[in-house]
Amino acid sequence: MAPTNKSTRRTLIGSGVLLLAGLASASVQADDAKQIIRDRCLACHTESGDASAPNFSRISEQRKTPEGWLFTINRMINLRGLQISDDEKREVVRYLADTQGLAPSEAAPFRYLLEQDTNLVEEGVDQALAETCARCHSAARFGLQRRTTEEWQLLVNFHMGQFPTTEFHSLARDRKWYEIAHDEVAVQLGEQYPLLTPAWDNWKQAVKSDLDGRWRVTGFVPGKGEYDAWMTTSKADGGRYNLSLEGQYADGSPLSGSGKATVYTGYEWRASITIDGVKMRQVMAADAKGMSMNGRMFLASEREIGGVMSALKDTKAPAVVAVMPSYLRKGESTALTIIGQNLDGDIDLGPGVKVEKVLERSDDRIHLMARATGDEGTQSVQVGAAELASGLAVYGELARVEVTPQNAVARIGGMSKMPKVRVAYRAVGYSAGADGKPGTEDDLRLGYMPAEWSIKPADEMAAEEKDAEFAGTIDAAGIFTPGDDGPNPKRKMMANNVGRLAVVASVKDAGEAVEGDGSLLVSVPDFVRRVLD
Amino acid sequence: MKLKNVLKSAGVLGAVGLGSLASQAMADQEFLLTITRPNQLHVIDMSSNTIARTCDIPGPFGTGSIALSPDNTHAYVLSNGTKDVYGFDIRNCDITFKAEQSSPTEQVISMQSIAVSADGKELYTVQNPIKKLSDRFEVEQPRLAVFNIKDGMDAKVVRTFPVDRRITKIAVTDENEVILGGADLKGINPKTGEVRMVSKLASWEKGPLWLPPDAFAMHSQGEQMHEYIMPYVTAKFDSEDWNFETAEWWWGISRVDLKTGKATRDEVLPFQFIIFNFVADPRNPDILYGSFNTLSKHDISKKETLIVHDMPHTYYDLNISGDGKTLYVGGTSSDISIHDSDTLEKIGSIQLTGDMSTSDLRVATIRN
Repeated sequence: MAPTNKSTRRTLIGSGVLLLAGLASASVQADDAKQIIRDRCLACHTESGDASAPNFSRISEQRKTPEGWLFTINRMINLRGLQISDDEKREVVRYLADTQGLAPSEAAPFRYLLEQDTNLVEEGVDQALAETCARCHSAARFGLQRRTTEEWQLLVNFHMGQFPTTEFHSLARDRKWYEIAHDEVAVQLGEQYPLLTPAWDNWKQAVKSDLDGRWRVTGFVPGKGEYDAWMTTSKADGGRYNLSLEGQYADGSPLSGSGKATVYTGYEWRASITIDGVKMRQVMAADAKGMSMNGRMFLASEREIGGVMSALKDTKAPAVVAVMPSYLRKGESTALTIIGQNLDGDIDLGPGVKVEKVLERSDDRIHLMARATGDEGTQSVQVGAAELASGLAVYGELARVEVTPQNAVARIGGMSKMPKVRVAYRAVGYSAGADGKPGTEDDLRLGYMPAEWSIKPADEMAAEEKDAEFAGTIDAAGIFTPGDDGPNPKRKMMANNVGRLAVVASVKDAGEAVEGDGSLLVSVPDFVRRVLD
Repeated sequence: MKLKNVLKSAGVLGAVGLGSLASQAMADQEFLLTITRPNQLHVIDMSSNTIARTCDIPGPFGTGSIALSPDNTHAYVLSNGTKDVYGFDIRNCDITFKAEQSSPTEQVISMQSIAVSADGKELYTVQNPIKKLSDRFEVEQPRLAVFNIKDGMDAKVVRTFPVDRRITKIAVTDENEVILGGADLKGINPKTGEVRMVSKLASWEKGPLWLPPDAFAMHSQGEQMHEYIMPYVTAKFDSEDWNFETAEWWWGISRVDLKTGKATRDEVLPFQFIIFNFVADPRNPDILYGSFNTLSKHDISKKETLIVHDMPHTYYDLNISGDGKTLYVGGTSSDISIHDSDTLEKIGSIQLTGDMSTSDLRVATIRN
């Protein structure tokens, strides 16, 4: 869960320092946060060094994301009895994420975890780290932290003290786990993910951009579909932003919402927004100039249910941000919508693509009929001076459908305290490319396509266990809902409604159905709710 | 579940059981001991397969690890997240012993490791200590801790000796050597701290074609054979490329005769399904029974599985009557399933008041 963004704002705190939040400068806020750390943390931690640049033991030797710091403070509350108000917590998270955060390039490989998009199989994880750390955690969990070697070693000790069974697990008891983790892996982490890096030094010194203004936004909400909208952001007290979002889904239904955001570390956008009565969160990263943001928006109550989101700042310059749908079948008159801003001038969909008729046109949206007669391939889409490279894929025949996520975990629930964990699916279409063979490197990605969804047992054993009958259902929008938790007397060994399924997307292309499938594990509830998995 | 009501009824049952036991003429009598959540030690009369009495264990659940005194009248259990040890007279539920292993500055847990000396005077645990400094943990060397049982309700450690990390079940031989079930099986003299290798596992020298064994004794319940069994899984590869698909997978056991302290180690069965615990037939040491999702019977002299019986749910552990005729399969859930050891057919069941989860299933034989 992203840091909470309640509308309360810090006015009075226990330290006796009285501030009018609106007048607080960044350095006053930093002094304030340091004082909160002194007041709340030094019962156990120690302070050394210059009072203006203090070193707090165990704290100053680490850098983390805002979620990472929130996670740490939550643990201090839950495990160590820390007493801290919500306002103080928010202040400290912001101060630590700002002064001991991750540079954009350091967080970039692991943004999926910050975006809470965890239905993926991490690849290329170093074997020692995989066996020692990633056998329980995501590789992003530790990849989004920077520590001194000694601090990585103290993290190993934390595991030994807090979770003493760690060294008895499978993949631990067959080796000298503690010695390997402490003397080898922690040292490796100290080299791979050190406290001090040039990337962080540079980012600390970089001028950070304000993120207020108007943004052209596109994205996807499971069950609702693709949308385009305008997001307006304005700076509020204490470095926060107010925001509103107005737009429409692809089916024409309106979308409207408002909320608040906080920017951490100069680029980490975290917003809470209520859209048409539904609370959602945005996790995005701004680029270095503060001109664009990319990330994911998901349900506040169900972080697995969400979709991509991107925002381009309106600088009065013309821009095309998307074409919906992003594909055009050769020889067929098809309705397309060009999404952009300050659109003015001639429309050019690339060689061999004819704009048959402009149905509706404004400076941020053009609805038209188009027909392609030329070659297969991605086309650049131009409206006057604005151009979106590879904005439209022209294809002859749908050859392959990829289900995304390819690998997912749903979790039964609903009968116990644990909610069901659902999975939101989409289908991506490909044409075979020049070689005519689907599944090869030259396949042409066409984009997200509407599909008919179904499930089937993953294999013979899953069929024998009737997994497809018990483990859940998938709806027309591609949202899989797992079964109830608890022993099921109808199943062999009273098994819970767990199962291994294939999720099948069937996409119609000129009357022919093309199918693709993804692997779904319907598992037991996860009784631990982590800020970052 | 309405726990209070269930506990009350268990209490009533316990009282009835006690009354009937007292009125019987005493002969050798077998009791099955196990622990259920939230934290009760059950003493089950194996002649009637009914709960004779239920003893409340102070504190939150540990792991259900149980050790018996040599005369089998007392049971020592880990409680409070395996930090504390309590001793019970199983004939009347009196609490006779208590040791708190942790202190405000040192967290100490015992991972299943608890045993009583051959003369019944000392209690042994393997302690895994962590020093709790104000803002960090310091990991300390595990140690064998010795308590005097006569110290009763405020027992303190009287001696300690350093031991390996990752030790689970321990057992005591007739010569009072403490068998330490870890990555290798070792033995320690609890008077001197001298350690010897009993059976090599992690440091075995089987060559590059064998997978280092994954050995793990969460339970080891060889009281009817007076033995300690450490099961392990290994694989024999057809080349040093270690192709897991084509490897031969094996169950193995390291087996210590607690009368002599002598050990054997061998791959005893092809790995075909998961077995969480083995127990031997007291009439024939080559006949092993195993439990997990199945109850199974094996003849390890032929490396053969004789019978596999599907179970209605997972059972972590099992034990056997002294005559070898009856198997008690338990752990995981709240029922003990009783089976004929010849056919493995189910012949009875004992319903408990809570889940056994990881608890031991031990047989205490009180001799006349």
